[in-house]
Amino acid sequence: VIAALLLLVPLLTAALLAFAPRAAIHRPLAIAGALATFVLALAAEGASVAFDWIPALGVGFALEASGASLVLVRVAAAVMIVTVAWALARVDDRPHHVAAWLLATLAGLIGIFTARDLLLFYVWWELTLLPALVLLGGWGLARRRAAVVKYLTYAVAGSFAMLVSVLAIRPLSGAADYGFEALLAAAPSLDPLAQTWLFAGFAFAFAVKLPIFPLHAWLIDVHEQNHPSGVADVAGTLYKVGGFGLFAWAIPLLPAGAAAFAPIGLAFGAFTAILGALIAVRQLHLKRLLAYASLSHMGVVAVGLFSLQPAGMAGAMALLAAQMVTTGGLFLVSGMLHDRRGTFEVAAYGGLARSAPFFSGFALLLLFASVGVPGLANFPGEFLALLGAYAASPAAAVVAVGAVIAAGAMAVNLNARVFQGPAEGGVADAKPLEIGVLAPLLVLTLWLGVAPAAGLAAIEAQVVASGPSVVGAIGGGR
Amino acid sequence: MILPPDVGDWAVIAPALVLALFAGVTLLFGVFSGERAPLGGLSLTGIGAALLVAGYLWLEPAAEGTRRAFGGAVLADLPALAFTVVILIGAALATLLADAHVERMGLDQPEFHPLLLLSTAGALVLVSAGDLITMLLGLEIMSLAVYVLAAWRDRSRPSEEAGMKYFLLGAFASAFAIYGIALTYGATGRFGFAAIAEVAAAPGFDQGALLLLGAVFLLVGLGFKVAFAPFHQWAPDVYTGAPTPVTAFMSVVVKAAAFGVLLRVVDAFTGALGAGANAAVLPLLLSLLIGATLIVGNFGALLQSGLKRLLAYSAVAHAGYVGLAVLAGGDAGLRAAAFYLLAYTFTGLLAFAALLALLGDDDRGDRLERLAGLGRRRPLLAVALAVALGSLAGFPPFAGFVAKVVVFQAAIAAGHVALAVLGIVTSVVAVFYYARVALSMFLVDSAVARVPARERPPLGRRAAAALALALAGVLLLGLFPGGWLAAFAA
Repeated sequence: VIAALLLLVPLLTAALLAFAPRAAIHRPLAIAGALATFVLALAAEGASVAFDWIPALGVGFALEASGASLVLVRVAAAVMIVTVAWALARVDDRPHHVAAWLLATLAGLIGIFTARDLLLFYVWWELTLLPALVLLGGWGLARRRAAVVKYLTYAVAGSFAMLVSVLAIRPLSGAADYGFEALLAAAPSLDPLAQTWLFAGFAFAFAVKLPIFPLHAWLIDVHEQNHPSGVADVAGTLYKVGGFGLFAWAIPLLPAGAAAFAPIGLAFGAFTAILGALIAVRQLHLKRLLAYASLSHMGVVAVGLFSLQPAGMAGAMALLAAQMVTTGGLFLVSGMLHDRRGTFEVAAYGGLARSAPFFSGFALLLLFASVGVPGLANFPGEFLALLGAYAASPAAAVVAVGAVIAAGAMAVNLNARVFQGPAEGGVADAKPLEIGVLAPLLVLTLWLGVAPAAGLAAIEAQVVASGPSVVGAIGGGR
Repeated sequence: MILPPDVGDWAVIAPALVLALFAGVTLLFGVFSGERAPLGGLSLTGIGAALLVAGYLWLEPAAEGTRRAFGGAVLADLPALAFTVVILIGAALATLLADAHVERMGLDQPEFHPLLLLSTAGALVLVSAGDLITMLLGLEIMSLAVYVLAAWRDRSRPSEEAGMKYFLLGAFASAFAIYGIALTYGATGRFGFAAIAEVAAAPGFDQGALLLLGAVFLLVGLGFKVAFAPFHQWAPDVYTGAPTPVTAFMSVVVKAAAFGVLLRVVDAFTGALGAGANAAVLPLLLSLLIGATLIVGNFGALLQSGLKRLLAYSAVAHAGYVGLAVLAGGDAGLRAAAFYLLAYTFTGLLAFAALLALLGDDDRGDRLERLAGLGRRRPLLAVALAVALGSLAGFPPFAGFVAKVVVFQAAIAAGHVALAVLGIVTSVVAVFYYARVALSMFLVDSAVARVPARERPPLGRRAAAALALALAGVLLLGLFPGGWLAAFAA
């Protein structure tokens, strides 16, 4: 029941919000919906729901919240609470619709993370695209149309490639239905060539959505053209579910295909990591900078996953959860900066630490968490991902570590230009609402950094549960 | 051997008879009373009655197994009944939609509705045909009425051109089909589908090449009707030139019927050609036609600037997807084709219902620029059209998604992986042209001048009902497809 409620609460809240007549109830309704979802997620340990949906096609409506799925659902729901609050305060044009679409995104993400049926996973995967496009198209900046078309092209090309694999995997493997267990029993014993082709379809979709080089072009434009408040960017950051798709579906179901793709995945992942970090160092547009920095994280996620080591894969998922908080939080910070100076040009800022010490403190903590400073959210995941990568390919790990160093340079550089240096007129310090939005994120950042054990243990349990085939394939490959 | 018909024989063709009867009643009533308002209702009653009879035949299994009539010339087996129901649902919705708009468009002569009914009756005969002669009869009954309807608009060059073009190419296609029938008869001495297969399977049968030639001619003739490339040339022009209510009818009823019979013919001839040297030719030919259709339809739609013509090309593209189900064949192919056509019936009619709400009385006003800002001006209509486009593009949770899954699943399971991949690759292209329409409705760039549309009065009750029914169909079929899929399975 809880698993079904987990989907229904955000969906119903979104529907109510869209048609709610009076502005006075928008905020309590939206925040209550997001909070309720989060509380449900806290209580959802092992919750599941399963019934036949389209028996003629072997498709079930099966959801289960456990392991990495649950960790990601919880973090996404937590981040969404403050995002919804910020959206209602900061967006002028139909804010309740923005909040409704944000909650719809959350529902879609919960569907993606908890689906235990491959076709159902695909359905949620596609559905969640709609809110992302609407948020960009409805509230974006002047050149949003081109960004929408670009985003749609990449996403649809990717997901249709995945659809081929989704549709083919059952007839080819002879699985009884599309449920994860049935596929796990049948698909890994497919012959390696078939697995490689099927994996290629999945990998294309997931590489677009991760994204990794050379399929990342949409990401930058989307972030640049999104509403300046940054709320749509947070939704976009949470929606980077390509890594989860690899982790939960493609690698366990097609271990031989994964093994065949691992060298390519490691190479492109490491290259993406260093490319994103190096470009970020030189970016002068705040949102593009954050977009490239998060691209770099996705490279590390890919490296961790394609290491095919339990540690690397678990680290990748932990990093995915952590960057929801840190990158998402930084996008909200960018919206707060835009509030003050009306621009995303880094050059327009400087010396903020003097006139706005609280605000700068919050922002810097998120920034350093984002580049992987130990004790903060990203570090455990990043470390494990790189550790796994080192075991699989020292060269890829070395390149990816280079990315981490470059990211550090980026953070120091950004700190120097925005928060230190000569101040041209003061800006307002953190307002109560901003503190209310950022403080929970900081708590979460510290929590994920200081006490990652619980989340990591849950994720690792899932790796082990679907692990024998993975580890077996690596053993066989050597 | 010809048996004298008995009561049971008439029961098997009762749905078509009911339609023909109501066509006569509607026509006489319209001509003699001079009133036009009740004609639509009368005609809907007829379709409803036919649907009841068909439902009875489907749900009440006969004692002797499959019902057949007139010595096997007419069948009431699962393919026949499944397509009969799909056709009747499409005809009912299309009639409701037409009824809502013909008056203001000046198309409501008393013969309009009877011709729709007669064409539908022909479609039913076509899909229940058990032999090639009955098939030809059904094909001609269905087509003749539509030739007239395509040219329905008075003193309109495009409409006259549409009727003429459709008639000439239709006659051409019929000639191909008749030639194919003759060749088949020459090879086997039989007309019945079952009998042809029987003769071809008998030891000592040495007319395989002639039979194959007959099959190829039939395939070309029916390929015209379902608008497979390269025989699709007429489709965009006829769909665009014909009055839009007629286009809506053609795009669902005529299309479903043509595919129903194509499925039967392909199955029969694949069985008859057996495993011999010639067996691979027919699937290969069909694959080539489908591949060409997918490419031509989707890329053609990309270039259009009018919504009606875009939908016409998209109809060609969708013929390619149903073709995949025909190619897969067997029970899975039947289920996939019938479900796809049912989903397409609701989706296509939803698109046409929205289009008709936008068009002026002269069928004009479908340029994509005119859609700019529709999302703000008429949000409900824009959302309905967007749902139709989403379903056509195959996005969940709409009917089009499940339809696509069923078809590609059947094609992949039957081993046509390459063609299925082509189908999915071309549907990426399709997303583009559907998205273009949606973007013009919801995204008003300052660069694009805002073209004020001639605001039409709000939808009438019947038009709104047609729109709502189609929308409900698209959503329900997408969310709860299980029942229909089970019903279409053998």
